[in-house]
Amino acid sequence: MIRPTAAQTAQWEEKGYLVFENAIPADELKRLQTVFDHWAEKCKPAWLDRVEAGEAAASFYDIPDPFDKDEIFVDLIDHPSYYGSLMAFTDDELILLGPQVRTVPPGPVCYTGWHPDVPHSNPLHIKVQIYVNDVDPKAGEFAYVPGSHKPNAGPYSKAQRLEAMPGHKRFPGKAGTAIMFNSYGWHTAMDNPTDTPRKSLILIYEKRVPERVDPKRFASIAHLCTTSERRKLFSLEE
Amino acid sequence: MTRIDSHLHVFAKVSPEFPRETTSVCPADREETAEKLLGEMEANGIDQAMLVQIGGDSIEHHAYLLHCLKTYPDRFLGIGLIPPDLSEPEAHMDTLTDGTGMIGFRLSSVGGPRDPFDQIKVKEIKTYRVWKHAAERDYVLWLYPRAVDAHLLPYLMETFPQVRVVLNHLGLCPGKGKFSWDAKGRPRIETAEYNPAFHTTHRLACFENVMVHVSGQYAFSNEAYPYPDLDRWHQRLLDHYGAKRLMWATDFPWILEDPGYGQLTNIIDRLLPDLPKGEYDDIMGENAKRFLRFPDRL
Repeated sequence: MIRPTAAQTAQWEEKGYLVFENAIPADELKRLQTVFDHWAEKCKPAWLDRVEAGEAAASFYDIPDPFDKDEIFVDLIDHPSYYGSLMAFTDDELILLGPQVRTVPPGPVCYTGWHPDVPHSNPLHIKVQIYVNDVDPKAGEFAYVPGSHKPNAGPYSKAQRLEAMPGHKRFPGKAGTAIMFNSYGWHTAMDNPTDTPRKSLILIYEKRVPERVDPKRFASIAHLCTTSERRKLFSLEE
Repeated sequence: MTRIDSHLHVFAKVSPEFPRETTSVCPADREETAEKLLGEMEANGIDQAMLVQIGGDSIEHHAYLLHCLKTYPDRFLGIGLIPPDLSEPEAHMDTLTDGTGMIGFRLSSVGGPRDPFDQIKVKEIKTYRVWKHAAERDYVLWLYPRAVDAHLLPYLMETFPQVRVVLNHLGLCPGKGKFSWDAKGRPRIETAEYNPAFHTTHRLACFENVMVHVSGQYAFSNEAYPYPDLDRWHQRLLDHYGAKRLMWATDFPWILEDPGYGQLTNIIDRLLPDLPKGEYDDIMGENAKRFLRFPDRL
């Protein structure tokens, strides 16, 4: 397991994020892109029907139940490029809450605005966003307010123009880049006025507390969780 | 403080003077008149109201609405309808607004690609000419868009930022097949537990000329008045738009039986109980007076 360096740990604590360039090696990335596009295309008609029925937002699109669709989505959860850091920052008490395999259509206004995901009363909540395609500057890239994860940071407001958030940092990146962030901190996807959708995975983790462990959550992939460590990660055992 | 009911409907019995289309809830012999409305308003301390056309979109169908605006010019302003297949809507819009008190038009369809991943060419959106003319003439657009159109709105608002836009009924976009009439003769919109509008119309707060109606709760809620299951929606709207950009409305006459006009004059107190008085006054009328330019009462 690759543990974070002292510099990475210091940045995580001070800024609330880490960037892992080339986190997904080329051959694995190519397979991920192929699988992503296959399932995105296959599931899209049902999503469009749900949009028309008012059951889903038109502004982003998630492949439903990705773990049941391809094993590569499971393997990304404890990928060696960032898994050691996730474990280190949660004192080796890491659980997965879920994956979002997400495509965001281009457009003048992004589907979300500046927000933290959870209050500080919540157990430590971490997300890893993995770009599946290249995400250029000003093309819907992830953005974060460094330091906003700290309890005494802010106050911050929901700046209506995303670019108006003071002190924010944008994260354009190549396909295969992974951005890990503390989701107490304020973050968003930026607007994307280009013609290129943003494809990414957003993996959601928390520091384990007993009440969040739900053995049924990922029971359908128990056969893929053959080590004790993975079974713990997927809440399949205490 | 001015109190303005910023979205409701009146109609007369069908007659040669006031022709209109009929439906099962608005049969030819039903009337919900301006005078009946004024009685409710007087009883509940409401000063003015926005009359929104129902009963047809032709010029002739607007006869009763125009009559009400002419009869009570300091009490009402009006919002009209545009026939969806009108290829040149400009003349229709100008005729209805020419010194009448009608200030804009309601759209329930925007008309563009169904797939948000398709390339969106604004000039090819079906209502482009309506938006363009509204921009040129300072008409207000009153939107209750279908869910399938929600992704088109940012393109139009970006192209025409000067157009004043009012999103009806909490910014919700009804889904196909989700509209019905309930046993009390009220519209009913089946809505998802996680409201997709959080990620579509609620994001339009970045456009300065967009306001949202705090209204229509009865149609979306699964609970009785005061609709506590919708308090989160209200708080989100307040967080995103702020108190200066929300406008209270009753959607008269559908609410007369349940919960009653008077009850709805208290809905903001019930769903946003912590508002400072100034913000409460804004939502209850001051915003509508400023944004829609209601005249001073005589």
